[in-house]
Amino acid sequence: MSVDTKKIKKNAYRVTKTRGKTCLRVRVPGGHLPSQYLEIIKEIADKFGNGTVHLTTRQGFEIPGIDFSSIEMINQLISPMIVGLEKEIGVPLANGFDKGYPAAGTRNVSACIGNRVCTMANCDTTALAQKIERTIFPNDFHVKIAVTGCPNDCIKAHMQDIGVIAQVEPLYDETRCISCKACVKNCQKVATGALTMGNYKVERDPHRCLGCGECILKCPNAAWTRGNKFYRLVIMGRTGKRNPRLAQTFVQWASEDVVLGVIKNMYKYIDKHIDRTLEKEHVGYIFDRTGYNEFKNVVLEGIQLNPEIRIATFINFHGSIYDSQIIFENVTKA
Amino acid sequence: MAYILTHAEFDTVLQRLKQDYILIGPVRKKNKGKFSDADLITYGQIESLSDLETNGKSQFSAKETIFPPSQTLFYFTEDEYREPKFEPQKRIVFLRACDFNAIKRLDLLFLENGQFVDAYYKRLREKTHFFVFGCEKSYENCFCVSTGTNQCEGYDAFLNFKGEKINLFPSEPFKRYFAGYEENEDILPQFIERNHIQVDIPEGLSTKIYDHPYWDQYGKRCIGCGRCNFSCPTCTCFTMQDIFYRDNKNAGERRRVWASCQVDGFTDMAGGHSYRKQQGERMRFKVMHKIHDFAKRFNMHMCVGCGRCDDVCPEYISFSQCISGLKGVVAHDN
Amino acid sequence: MITNPYLPQPAEIISITKETTTDYTFRLKTDIQPDFGQFVEVSIPKVGEAPISVSNAQPGWIELTIRRVGHLTNELHELKPGDLLFIRGPYGKGFPKEQYRDKSLIIAAGGTGLAPVRNLINYYYQHPGEVRQLSLLMGFKTPEDILFKEDIEKWRSKFQVLLTVDKESPGWSGHVGLITNFVKDAVGENSSASRVIIVGPPLMMKFTSQEFIKYNIPEENIWLSFERKMCCGIGKCGHCRINDTYVCLEGPVFPYITAKNLLD
Ligand SMILES: Cc1cc2nc3c(=O)[nH]c(=O)nc-3n(C[C@H](O)[C@H](O)[C@H](O)COP(=O)(O)OP(=O)(O)OC[C@H]3O[C@@H](n4cnc5c(N)ncnc54)[C@H](O)[C@@H]3O)c2cc1C
Ligand code: HEM
Ligand code: SF4
Ligand code: SF4
Ligand code: SF4
Ligand code: SF4
Ligand code: SF4
Ligand code: FES
Repeated sequence: MSVDTKKIKKNAYRVTKTRGKTCLRVRVPGGHLPSQYLEIIKEIADKFGNGTVHLTTRQGFEIPGIDFSSIEMINQLISPMIVGLEKEIGVPLANGFDKGYPAAGTRNVSACIGNRVCTMANCDTTALAQKIERTIFPNDFHVKIAVTGCPNDCIKAHMQDIGVIAQVEPLYDETRCISCKACVKNCQKVATGALTMGNYKVERDPHRCLGCGECILKCPNAAWTRGNKFYRLVIMGRTGKRNPRLAQTFVQWASEDVVLGVIKNMYKYIDKHIDRTLEKEHVGYIFDRTGYNEFKNVVLEGIQLNPEIRIATFINFHGSIYDSQIIFENVTKA
Repeated sequence: MAYILTHAEFDTVLQRLKQDYILIGPVRKKNKGKFSDADLITYGQIESLSDLETNGKSQFSAKETIFPPSQTLFYFTEDEYREPKFEPQKRIVFLRACDFNAIKRLDLLFLENGQFVDAYYKRLREKTHFFVFGCEKSYENCFCVSTGTNQCEGYDAFLNFKGEKINLFPSEPFKRYFAGYEENEDILPQFIERNHIQVDIPEGLSTKIYDHPYWDQYGKRCIGCGRCNFSCPTCTCFTMQDIFYRDNKNAGERRRVWASCQVDGFTDMAGGHSYRKQQGERMRFKVMHKIHDFAKRFNMHMCVGCGRCDDVCPEYISFSQCISGLKGVVAHDN
Repeated sequence: MITNPYLPQPAEIISITKETTTDYTFRLKTDIQPDFGQFVEVSIPKVGEAPISVSNAQPGWIELTIRRVGHLTNELHELKPGDLLFIRGPYGKGFPKEQYRDKSLIIAAGGTGLAPVRNLINYYYQHPGEVRQLSLLMGFKTPEDILFKEDIEKWRSKFQVLLTVDKESPGWSGHVGLITNFVKDAVGENSSASRVIIVGPPLMMKFTSQEFIKYNIPEENIWLSFERKMCCGIGKCGHCRINDTYVCLEGPVFPYITAKNLLD
């Protein structure tokens, strides 16, 4: 059997354990989809696969057990879904929508359930994920991006190359505040202790405030209300063999335009610095080579910064220690 | 007798009224709800008919127009004190029948309870005129028909929105604003006649039910946030606060802010003594005030059946279901 | 012009008597003439306002005995004669003096509870014929907490005085034990005709009244004075309300038969 594995991988199929069988990966930008598409998934799995579907870590589907020879047929079948979930949100696909996915390097932009459902969420995470998808897809660079509605970070933005954490600026109307302290106690307990009570009114330390919106949720008298939406970007989080680590904050109180601009520019940064001798260098390792300042300079180039934004002056990642003699001992040794 | 105006005509009347009055009514504040991308309907100034939100119940009632959540009573300087220079402008407040009936309850408390008249309340009250608008439909949790507060009289004007037209019933002093518009002798004010919820306020309530285990469920469920009281059009409790200004210790003020019998601290006395420590006891205290204690003093129930306490409770505690359940308790015990 | 009931009037401090380390009596220059058992709202602008019972009054002045327990009362204790305080009132219903006329009256007071009845006792001291007999039963935590020591000595000359402390300290030769232990002694014979006033902390009032009832004092002959959080004193703020009763309006003094139905 002759299969161009590079070509099929780019088409979102993979080489699998079972010789002759492949597996289709379906993107769901923002992780929320009309239920009608489940019928397409089901049809492909039943007719061409082995009747099972895997729910992927990044909120897509993988349909295993497909013959390589069925790829073209399946690309036709999946077409309505690519139209609905990619074309409709503005993703440009040069070769049309009936040839399957044109790239697989940049992973599905995932999102927590967001403000369509969750009480804590500060934005429609699915909608933002779709805007990001539109900005960066299709692309071969290996990038993982996710959007989460609040600092609880249910989507694990801290494990992404770029994690977007929605923030809200809480606005305080002291004429509505009746000094119940619900917001103060709660911020103290579940957030950062940014609020204090003085003269029976609340003061917010903007340097401690996370923009989580808890105070707004707790206020019984709408003294706290929602101001503008902002975003915190955490970068270069990863798992994997080399140096797994949580992402660190790059900017906070950034506008949506800045977020989309930075993400777009990151691809320029990758293009500028990627080690092309490797099969596909992940952006985190590029970052480790170039350092923070070069990253910052390139991704902020030409971006109109909103006045509220705060940009990290440095980022310090922890490193793993791989020589197991340094910290591990053999306790069973005689 | 009704005047029949189109929306445009009524807007013209409003512009004329604006020359003599400030117009206040329920307004929709875009994205100011406690949850992200949700609106807040609350009281605010209106410039034209389109500002008036008649579609949806306001989270807060009209009471804040005459009894503000936080009100300065005195300003202090080093050795003198003065009342706020306070010449409230004449205002027209738009509100629903339940809320207008609630004003009667506020009047009883602030103007007639005890031998003193609350001067701050009276000053605003005297300048306030009420335009009541009929409800086209009953909202979730409304039970005004059960409390007899779906109907009202003594308003300055009554309005029924009828599609393209508005039926208007001004009192004598306001008739001059409507002179010349279409009149119809036969049309009468229309009040909402049915709610989804019916409540039968039990007779024969007494201190006998105080120790009943019925209240225990609320001890477990209520978080003591006070939303039910702050949103209630008939709650009148307040707490005094004295402060001096940070930047000038010689100057300060005395103010009063809304208080809630569900919130910690309501009965706190020096030395750490307090009453009704359990939330269940506080629920009982509130419920008894609304459907028994107030009526014993003033011969009408305090509750006007607006259902806001149900609307806003984050723990889905239903006041109307509590009353209905209480009926069973009383029937069983007597 | 509407009169503003929240408007306080300045009152100059004429003198300050330190009854104990934590209780000071302030004599204020004022024209108000309170009934026995009424209270005033006292404030220091920018600091706060609190209800305080009138512990003594004569034309031209009143006395307030204030325990240092918190924000406002701490500041009050910093004041000196000549300083200004602000007051409004008097408020509330006091003791129905007419109902005690020619009767045997027993006043049982615990701790600062003596303050609201001191004025009444002083009145009977000056008009001893108005009641048939007056017995005072007073309890304090320790001898150091005893209030109005001079008055008490003075009262001994005309009334039966029973002074007890919960815990003695060196030098104390008087009674030791809770007030409730001495109710029996205070009641004496012919108890059903006696009138009784009980003022003190909530638990003290509860147990002391039970004790008096045990010794055949009819419920309708007992009066209590309540304490509740109060922010306005005039029936508006709602803090003092119990059932359909406003303690600031219908109280703080209540007949026992009313009080026993005031359940929280
Ligand atoms: C009718 C009546 C008569 C009283 N008579 C006396 C008296 O003669 N002598 C005396 O020392 N004390 C008296 N008190 C108690 C006195 O009012 C409180 O000790 C005082 O309010 C404490 O204020 P603070 O700011 O120092 O204390 P904090 O503990 O700092 O008070 C905080 C707040 O709690 C409120 N508060 C606390 N305790 C009470 C209370 N018991 N009643 C009302 N509000 C309270 C006040 O509004 C104050 O703003 C009386 C109380 C009442 C109701
Ligand atoms: C040929 C090599 C690889 C292939 C084909 C591959 C494929 C994939 C795919 C398809 C996903 C996304 C699954 C989804 O959409 O839900 C994924 C996720 C992931 N991959 Fe790989 N991967 C490869 C190499 C690596 C390497 C080298 C690393 C680590 C350095 C890595 C780390 C991860 C991680 C951490 C995730 C999940 C991230 C998350 O939680 O969002 N992968 N991989
Ligand atoms: S947004 Fe969050 S961190 Fe900021 S003040 Fe409110 S609760 Fe605290
Ligand atoms: S929760 Fe709201 S009302 Fe309560 S203290 Fe905070 S801002 Fe004020
Ligand atoms: S108790 Fe509830 S239903 Fe009754 S008036 Fe108040 S908010 Fe409305
Ligand atoms: S229900 Fe509670 S907060 Fe409302 S008026 Fe009654 S006592 Fe006050
Ligand atoms: S709104 Fe609900 S949870 Fe909050 S105090 Fe009222 S009953 Fe309790
Ligand atoms: S003290 Fe305010 S109502 Fe009684």
